[in-house]
Amino acid sequence: MPTRSKARKEEPAEAGSDIVMEEAPTSHQPESKDDDMSLPGSTPTAASFEFLNEGHTLGNALRYVINRNPEVEFCAYAIPHPSEPKMTVRIQTFEGTTAIEALEKGLRDLQDLCDVVTDKFIEARERFSAGASS
Amino acid sequence: MDFDPMVMDDAESLGPVVKISQADSVRTKFELSNVDISFANSLRRVMLAEIPTIAIDLVEIEENSTVLADEFIAHRLGLIPLNAEGVESLVNSRDCDCEGYCEHCSVRLTLHAKCTGDENMSVFARDLVPTGERLNQVLGTPIVTDSEGLGPLILKLRPGQEIKLECIAKKGIAKEHAKWAPSAAIGFEYDPHNKLHHTDLWYEQDPKAEWPPSEYAEWEEPPQEGEPFDYDAVPNRFYYNVETAGNLPPDAIVTEGIKVLQQKLAGLIHELTEGEGGDGANGDYNGPRSPEYNTGADGFGGYTTPFGNAGNQSAWGGAGGTTPYGTTPYGAGQSSWS
Ligand SMILES: [Zn+2]
Repeated sequence: MPTRSKARKEEPAEAGSDIVMEEAPTSHQPESKDDDMSLPGSTPTAASFEFLNEGHTLGNALRYVINRNPEVEFCAYAIPHPSEPKMTVRIQTFEGTTAIEALEKGLRDLQDLCDVVTDKFIEARERFSAGASS
Repeated sequence: MDFDPMVMDDAESLGPVVKISQADSVRTKFELSNVDISFANSLRRVMLAEIPTIAIDLVEIEENSTVLADEFIAHRLGLIPLNAEGVESLVNSRDCDCEGYCEHCSVRLTLHAKCTGDENMSVFARDLVPTGERLNQVLGTPIVTDSEGLGPLILKLRPGQEIKLECIAKKGIAKEHAKWAPSAAIGFEYDPHNKLHHTDLWYEQDPKAEWPPSEYAEWEEPPQEGEPFDYDAVPNRFYYNVETAGNLPPDAIVTEGIKVLQQKLAGLIHELTEGEGGDGANGDYNGPRSPEYNTGADGFGGYTTPFGNAGNQSAWGGAGGTTPYGTTPYGAGQSSWS
């Protein structure tokens, strides 16, 4: 995984930019590099994901779960326009993991949470009927 | 640092807790605690809008000499709750191989009534008769819960008037049309004393005197006189009141709701890990998005949550929440929820 300084070297054009790199914001994120595989704006540790036909139902819970991952530097979701059925999630991670891994982990953690809540509900429901009938 | 999504930051808690305070055939009241408000709200939203049920979607009117317009009657028919037991094995009509509808993706109901007496006659939901092949003996039967066994009133006939029609009930979710909502209402509240100031209580002189306390107010400590506002406090206990419209038992609404969430997640994980699994949905879109930097993506940058997962047969609702936007089947077999 490229370090920040490496990414800078690969992009000499950056040298001419207004911002002196040493004074750049303290974000951990490397500058984006033009990798043929990547879509504009993505790096291994920083990416935005678009979900079609999803909204706050998934977005907010997913955002919360991803943020609980200590490897994640930043995560937020948005619904860019109310009349487009799209939801976007931005994930930036530290070097130890990637945005995609963090997304996948978030999805799985949310699944686990759903499992636990289902179990707890069924358990509570059975206890309730047992209490009511006795 | 150990990461456990189930445990709240500062709590010595043991993860989510569910307490049921009332449960009968009409409603379930429960408290869900030690979860984040985002998850609690997701559960509420998914129960409201994305649980598949069955409702009348097509009406063919053969004879209507009532005073009501055809479309008016069709609309009323759509809103009649039908028993949704077993909808999970009903195919979503948009995904079915048939043309239009068939017994795998619909239930047929007929209504025929003529007022032959000299008194006005009422036509009720019980007069809607399921006919033809059905997946099971109850799927699509109108819900009748009143003591006289009539069900909701559909229309009235004057002497001599007649109504004759045939309905096709299909599977769907309330996101497409509220007639597919399993719940008549879902109560959701937290922080009965408004300690978090998430709401502003309108008042004339004194909000305490003018606002009746919530039924959950005595479950939580009232704020002390002069207590400073806690800026770090987050809601932790959520009170649900799930009331069914009759089509699904209230407990099933809760478990189905979570299942729909699970299906969304399973579908997304599937797409994320299997790479570009059959997603032509937005392949031509090259907007400023970024995932898949090393997967050989060809310009597709999103993950479509498939609402219409054709072959994903799990206990309830093979097709996630499905009605409208059916595309992108997520393959069968990867769903591990129980
Ligand atoms: Zn069919």
